[in-house]
Amino acid sequence: MMRWFRADLHVHTVLSPCAAVEMTPRNIIRHAQAAGIDIVAITDHNAGDNVAAALRAAAGTGVAVLPGMELQTREEVHLLALFGKMRDFMKWCGFVAPHRSPLLNDEARFGPQFVVDETDELIRIEETMLLASTDLSLDEAVAQINEWGGVAIAAHVDRPMFSCLTQLGFIPPDLGLAAVEVSRNTKPGTAREKYPRIGRLPIVSSSDAHTIDDFISGPKTMFLAETPTLAELRQALTGEGGRRFRDPA
Amino acid sequence: MTLREMAAALELTIVSDTAALDQPLAGGYVSDLLSHVMGQAKAGQVWVTMQGHQNIVAVASLVGLGAVIVTSGVEPEEQTVNKAIEQEVALCMTKLPTYEVAGRLYQLDTAGK
Repeated sequence: MMRWFRADLHVHTVLSPCAAVEMTPRNIIRHAQAAGIDIVAITDHNAGDNVAAALRAAAGTGVAVLPGMELQTREEVHLLALFGKMRDFMKWCGFVAPHRSPLLNDEARFGPQFVVDETDELIRIEETMLLASTDLSLDEAVAQINEWGGVAIAAHVDRPMFSCLTQLGFIPPDLGLAAVEVSRNTKPGTAREKYPRIGRLPIVSSSDAHTIDDFISGPKTMFLAETPTLAELRQALTGEGGRRFRDPA
Repeated sequence: MTLREMAAALELTIVSDTAALDQPLAGGYVSDLLSHVMGQAKAGQVWVTMQGHQNIVAVASLVGLGAVIVTSGVEPEEQTVNKAIEQEVALCMTKLPTYEVAGRLYQLDTAGK
């Protein structure tokens, strides 16, 4: 039977240097459960080391976690890479790692990058600078995500920085995106008119949360599907098999 | 001075050689944000950028730019070079950083004016 799922496809944890320390996987899941957020994609910058903890924290809570990453391409475009299976996501993480910047993170300037477990215990501190461009091109990143069964979404195309529209002027035709994302700055239902270069791609909205307040108050996207899985979300984005989605008005 | 003479003076590598290079040098524009180039660069100008993505060809063609210089040793992607040749957009590359290309370009452009 189909039902509506409330999804946030862009959430940062304490692994992102810009996220608040309250953004542990366990705390995110606890708040998702309390606020009725059914699907949470964990999307840290250029890394996925806190996804496993989120999956374990979510076990038995009814909250579905999607493994994901917010990749920064060499054009300085932010791209969400979402996967249905942890095995595919791990392959993706292994693919991205050697393409990251060789610079080390400067905690004092950018903030610390914590890898934690499902009980909020610190496992290690990531020393690579995650808030930097990889040397992957947008086109090769999207192609690789699609090859491994993932979903590629251009992040916050309405923002003045790190957006496909500002960096590249328009969305390259035949890129293979499943959707574009707009931030809380764009009123739902106005994005296509305001940013005609989005064209006919599906538009989703997510919180891009760096704090629990962002996460609770930020935009979500509603999906009509049978199960809260990536395969079903992909169908909903293209309107297949009776699945569909809508931006919450 | 033509764009071809400018390319020689800056020792640029021409990766897409088109008739556009025979136009006179008429100012430049520097940005890596393609949306800004689309909105603000003027036809005939030389565009200096570090982006090597194929969209630079479409933007250059849309605005009617004289030539594109990809700086800092960035290698334009294969599709970028192919599209530039196909759409007759003049495309050059150099190891010089953007700062130096822009400075030398400005000197060439304003000399004798």
